[in-house]
Amino acid sequence: MIRFLIPFVAVVLFLLEPEFALFSPIQWGDDILYLVPRFLILYLIFISIYYSRKRACLYGLFFGLLYDVFYIDIIGLYSFLYPLVCFVAGSAIKFIHQHLSVTTILSLFLVAIMELVLYYFFSFINLTTIPLTSFLSNRLLPTIIANLLFLSMLGWAFKYLINARVIQHARDAS
Amino acid sequence: MPQFFSNKKLILLLVGIIFLVALISFSLRDRQNANLPEQFIKDTVGFAQSIVAKPANYITGIFNDINSLLNTYEENKRLKMRLEDFAVLQAEVNTLQSENESLKELVKKESSLKDFNPLKATVIARNPDQWEEKIILNRGSSHGVKLNMAVMTAKGLIGKISLVTPFTSEVELLQTNNPNFRVSAIVHGKKKDIFGLLEGYDTERNELILKRIDSSLDVNEGEQVVTSGLGGIFPKGILIGEVTEVTTDDFGLTKMAYIKPAADFSMLEDVIIAKRNINEVDGSDGNGTNADLTNDVDESTGEGEE
Repeated sequence: MIRFLIPFVAVVLFLLEPEFALFSPIQWGDDILYLVPRFLILYLIFISIYYSRKRACLYGLFFGLLYDVFYIDIIGLYSFLYPLVCFVAGSAIKFIHQHLSVTTILSLFLVAIMELVLYYFFSFINLTTIPLTSFLSNRLLPTIIANLLFLSMLGWAFKYLINARVIQHARDAS
Repeated sequence: MPQFFSNKKLILLLVGIIFLVALISFSLRDRQNANLPEQFIKDTVGFAQSIVAKPANYITGIFNDINSLLNTYEENKRLKMRLEDFAVLQAEVNTLQSENESLKELVKKESSLKDFNPLKATVIARNPDQWEEKIILNRGSSHGVKLNMAVMTAKGLIGKISLVTPFTSEVELLQTNNPNFRVSAIVHGKKKDIFGLLEGYDTERNELILKRIDSSLDVNEGEQVVTSGLGGIFPKGILIGEVTEVTTDDFGLTKMAYIKPAADFSMLEDVIIAKRNINEVDGSDGNGTNADLTNDVDESTGEGEE
């Protein structure tokens, strides 16, 4: 049961992202703020940290490919970035503590790096012309805050679910 | 310090990067048609997405309802004030409409650039990373959607169809940075209509830019901008927005106006795809070819189905 729950949650998050994207952009005073939901990659980072790096990379490749084909039509962008982020997260956890707050900060940091890479990529191919400062204030900051809210609400649930799976895995093996 | 990559992994990574760069450059080159596996993935994900979109739209609908309930009193006051004008306007519209019809009969003019078949569609997703302004609809080529059709909401024009698969289609919104996305537009001036080309979007002002306006003509703030139908794709008379500022353009030869779009680009739910009744010319707007498209209508309009 829990075995199928992990990919199922990933699919649900993948499908929920664009629904939450419909709320954005938000008008805040004079500024237009963009909130980019990054639920799936946060979940995959959690899988990578608490469960298995290899499996997280495979999920990342699969969902990254879907993301590329369905939403942005540039095949290879997310299908490269998602596994890379999962790989880095899984490798970095060897050097730091596995507490929930630490993983939350680490995953948000990785998402911020990913957003920055995406910004440079899209400005490289001239899809966007916004300057770096307005990217940081109107896109990156609101995105990180929104995803922090999401993680602080559901991070413990992810951890609980993944731990249940790890325990089951260990029981099956013994 | 353990070794971060073993040799085998390093080679795998490098090969992977080369492969992906090749894929990226391949998919950047041709962005008009989706190939077969792409179409399959798009339709499958689109199907799942439309299932999720229904309850999501329902919930956002409830929020909107609550929001409008809170504003009822203010709105009611304002609407009552406008109601009196409305009756007069309605009578005027009726007489104008009947007059227009009889005049049309008189000159035997059957089709106009204004006529279009509306096709209702629901937004099932918005590109979550929001770098390209793009939404995905639940209607595709099997419902009669073709490339380059105009897409609008009840308030005004929002964009055009940029990619079609059998059951979904993608809309490129007006806010795009794509330099090939131009819309031929008219400013309803006081004395006469003024032509211009809508191209580009000012991200700082969040307004559209209308370029190539004849500098001898007067464009004023607050005037309405509609599609002209002369670009060969869009029907005539779809509201785009209203003029907020007029300046001269970079070279000082023509005028340029900033336009506040009439449609609200966030929270898009139900949209209308407009199919022009009069035969359309699929100009170089689409794929950047400079071939003679006016004399070969049949072949060029068929390309959306591929």
